[in-house]
Order: sequence, then structure tokens, then C-alpha cells
Amino acid sequence: MRIFKKQKAKSFSIPPLTQEEDLFNFLPLPICFFDLNGKVLKINPTFEEISGYKKENILGKTIEKFFRKNEIRRIKEETLEKGSVKGRETTFFARGNKEVPISLFTLLSKNRKGEIKGVLLGFYDLTEIKKRETELKEVRTALLNILEDIEEERKKTEAEKNKTLAIITHFADGILVFDKEDRLSLLNPKVEEIFEVKSKEILNLSLSQLSKFPNFLPLLELLKKKEKELFRKELKLRENLILEVSVIPIKAKSEIIGTLVVLHDVTRKKIIERMKTEFVSIAAHQLRTPLSAIKWTLKMLLDGDLGEITEEQREFVNKAYRANERMIKLINDLLNVARIEEGRYLYKLSSLSIEPLVRKIVESLKQEAERKKIKLEFKKPKKKLPKLMLDAEKISLAIQNLVENAIKYTPAGGRVTVSLKVENKEVIFSVKDTGVGIPKEQQDRVFSKFFRGANVMRMETEGSGLGLFITKNIIEAHGGRIWFQSKEGKGTTFYFAIPFFQKVEHS
Amino acid sequence: MEEKILLIEDEDIIIDLLEKKLSQEGYKVVVAKDGEEGLRKMKEMEPKPDLILLDIIMPKMGGFEVMEEMQKDPQLREIPVIIISNSGQPVELDKAKKLGAKDWLIKTEFDPKEVIEKVKRQLQK
Repeated sequence: MRIFKKQKAKSFSIPPLTQEEDLFNFLPLPICFFDLNGKVLKINPTFEEISGYKKENILGKTIEKFFRKNEIRRIKEETLEKGSVKGRETTFFARGNKEVPISLFTLLSKNRKGEIKGVLLGFYDLTEIKKRETELKEVRTALLNILEDIEEERKKTEAEKNKTLAIITHFADGILVFDKEDRLSLLNPKVEEIFEVKSKEILNLSLSQLSKFPNFLPLLELLKKKEKELFRKELKLRENLILEVSVIPIKAKSEIIGTLVVLHDVTRKKIIERMKTEFVSIAAHQLRTPLSAIKWTLKMLLDGDLGEITEEQREFVNKAYRANERMIKLINDLLNVARIEEGRYLYKLSSLSIEPLVRKIVESLKQEAERKKIKLEFKKPKKKLPKLMLDAEKISLAIQNLVENAIKYTPAGGRVTVSLKVENKEVIFSVKDTGVGIPKEQQDRVFSKFFRGANVMRMETEGSGLGLFITKNIIEAHGGRIWFQSKEGKGTTFYFAIPFFQKVEHS
Repeated sequence: MEEKILLIEDEDIIIDLLEKKLSQEGYKVVVAKDGEEGLRKMKEMEPKPDLILLDIIMPKMGGFEVMEEMQKDPQLREIPVIIISNSGQPVELDKAKKLGAKDWLIKTEFDPKEVIEKVKRQLQK
């Protein structure tokens, strides 16, 4: 009992060893103690845990199994020499040769007499830190890559910007960019030339400030209308300067961040256009004047207005009259082609029924067909046809050309059938003949200017080779299409189709 | 009373033919051989002509100018004008319409008989 008591009392005196022992066991860092031979004498639970071995499998065994041989030898030597090793990065081999990166510390342990008793060894597990480090490295590399990319992108953007600027600077058209607040934020030298101002005088000015420059007024007047988009709006800036103005909103994601104004100088084009129109007009007049004088004289002779003529005289005059009519037709064809090429041919469109137009043309050609002993007929459409947007004069010319051709190139005893029908929201016109046909090898050139079939040339019938070119242009200007089927010696069928709701270019 | 037509035209043959044809139909024809003469004659004529047949391209003064001048004069403004021309581009037709022309005949597309018909129809209005 006494002994027990004594012992108990002794345990209350906080013996230093016990405290060390507690500390040893408590530390969350792995620690071990081994003698100079490397025999492990003591380990704490953390060491046990990290090594993966049971305590009894470690104590009394060599420390060397946990390290590379050379490494532990060096650590030991260093500890003996300097008394400690601090923060050496090395590898700890846990059970199953599992490598654990660690930061290792040692302390040479001596007793009070100064005798070396062994070595205390402890370490931090660096696994987490190493992992973090690797991650950090990766992040760093990634960041560097991104930075490089950004730099490259910046260089590219810079190059792109320089390119864009060079294009804008040297662009033949005037370019103005207004920002969201309608301030002039960019312009090119052509603008300076057009408005006779210097860039620095007008850069960053608002629309109202620009109005102080009288040269800008016509443009500002146009821009004031605040139309979101303008395309090739003609603007006469001065007597000798005509522009085509296009206004385009600049969008970044669906938001409008500014306005681009492009000024295209069309002065020369306009002058040429006017000269061409004048030329056509004068040529038309000059060529037609004698023809109309001949036409009227012959017609009055034929009508008996200038006195009675003999049957023989009438025959000759009639032939002369018809030759003159051919000449008139040729001139008209040439004028039509000139206008088509000028791009201002189609003129007056109105909602019309095509049937009466076709009927009228067929009626007017009946006599000619009879003269040639050809049966010309118009097959009435089965269904009522819808009205179409047509230029009556032009579409009549197209129909006339097609039916006249059919009669012209069909031998006596033949047949020409004109018909109209509705199919797929289109009105389809067709004229079928039993004529000479178009040689297969020439079929792809039928609609080109001055084309005449080889077989037709041998027939010595007159023709300018312009009729089908004009006809095709008329049909296409109505938003329609034209085609044909033909077999040489058998006959030809020409078709055209005009959609109910056609898209028509106005000129 | 016999209806009076002022024919303003520079081409002799056309003048002769139309004059003949119109007279045959019972109209009284006054001829002017250019725009200037035409304008002067229509100003002098009393009573004013019932209809004017007007060419476009003529020496001294063209047809468009004649019509512009007519528009300025309240006494001439109402006289119906039929254009007889060798030209006939859409722009010209539009311009003539704006200046009050009643009709536009391209000479190569019509003959004297048809001109007379147009004249008759216009005068009946």
C-alpha cells in the first residue's frame, strides 16, 4: 500500500520524462529515435501511422529501411558532425515502398554527461505541399501560356488593326465613323478631299458642330433623317461632285455602337451615264427620222391618200413598206439592247392579266401566219389566271418576239400553238411550233446577243439575233425564267414562267 | 366651226403628209417649223389652236422648252398637246407627262391614220 501511495505521490511530481513521453506521443509529426547503429529505439504513433508498419515491426529494426541507403548515411554523418539536420528534402519509404516526400530534421541526442545516446529524427510530410506545388506550377505554366497567347493575340490584333487602318486610309471611298454619341471618331483622307477640310479640324466633332462647315451640310441633311440604314443613296454635294452614300450601323453583339458612313464618288459614272442616254436618244432620233418619213409616205401611198395607184405599184410599195418595217424593228432591237446594257430597261409595272395581252398579239399575227399557211392558235387556259406585276409594253414585246419567231421558222403547213397555264404559283406561257428546230450543238447559245441558228441562216430569213436576248432580259426583269425544248427538224417549244409574287428590280 | 391644229415640226416630209391628211379630215392646219416659231404663232393666234402636234427635237427651241413656256402662260396652258417624236425613252415620256402632254406617239410605231385617230379622240374630249 505504502509503496503504491508513494508511487502515486511520485507521479504527481510531474516527472520530466513522462512529459517528454506525452509530448512525443502527442506530436502530430512523425518522430523516431535510433542509436548510432541505426537501430530504432522509439517511435511515436504518428510515425507508426505514416510508415504503415506496426510499432513492433519497427522497434529494434534498422532505420535504413525507410530511406535510401546513401541518404540516411549522409544524414547520420551530418548529424554527428553538426549536431542536427534541418529541413532536408528527401524521400521516406513507407510500407510497400510507397514514396513520401518529406522535409527531414534530426537532432543528436546526448545525456547529461555529454555522451551521445542516439539520434532524434522527425519530418513533415510534404505530399500535400508537393501536390500544391505541382498544381501551382501547372497553374503558373497555364498562366504563362495564356499570357503568351494574349500577347500573340494582341500582336495579331495590332497587325489586324494596322491592316484595317491601312485599308481605311487608302480606300478609294470616303469613310466616316461616328460613335454612339454621334461624334466623328474616324475618317480617311478621301473624306478630307471630298469636303475640303483637314482631319484635325473635324475629328471628334458632333453632328451639330460639323454643320459649321458648309460643305458638310448636304450630308448632314441626309444623316439627320436618322434612317438606320441607307444603301447607295445619291447625293449631289456640289455641281461637279455626286456621291453615293451608304450608312451602316456598327453593331457589337446586338448593340449599336456607332455608325459607318461610306461615300462613293459617282460623278464620272453619272456623266458617262448621261452621255450614254443622250447618245441613245440622239441615235434613236437620227436613225428613226428618215425611217418614219419613209414609213408615213409609203403608208399614205398604200392608203390611197396620195391618189390611186395600180395593183402592181401597190405590190412594190407594200414590199418597200415591209422592208422599212424590218429596219425599224432592227433599230428598236438595238435601242432595247443599249438600254438593257445601261441597266434601266424595265419601267412601268402594274397589276395586269397576261391573257388579253397574249390574245391581242396572237390576233395581230394571224394574218402573217395565214400568209405563210401556218395554223396559229391560242389555247385558252383551263383555270382563271391571277394578275401579275407586268410592264405591259415590255412583256408584249417578249411574247411578240417568241410567237413571231415560231411563225418565222415554221414551214408552210405547220402549226404554232400558244398556251397559258398555272403551275406551282407561276403562270407559264408556251409557244410550240412544228418548225426547223435549233441544232443541238447550238442550243446553249440561243439567248446570247446576235445568235442565229446555222439552219436558220441557210433559210435566208432576216433577223437581228437580238430578239431572244431582249426577251430573256424582259422575262428575268419580271422575276421570271425562260427556257425551251427543241429538236432539229421537228420543232421547238419556248416557255417562260412568271411567279405570282415576283421580286422585281425597279429601274 | 372648223377646228384649228398647230403643227410644230421641222421635218418637211412629215409636215406635208400630216398637213395633207389633217386637211382631208377637215381640220385647219397652221405650221411652224421650229419651237420658237411655234410659240410665237400660238401666242398670236386668235382664237387659240384647239390642239398642238409637237415634235421634240427641233432647231432653235425644242419641244420640252415649248411646253415649259406654255405652262407659264395661262392662255396657252390648257391647250392639249400631243407629242410626235422619233425618240421615246421612259424618262422623256415622264417629263412630257409632267409638262401636261396628253399623248406621246413614236413616229416609227404609228402611221398618219393613227395620228388622226388620236387627234380626233383628243378633240372629242
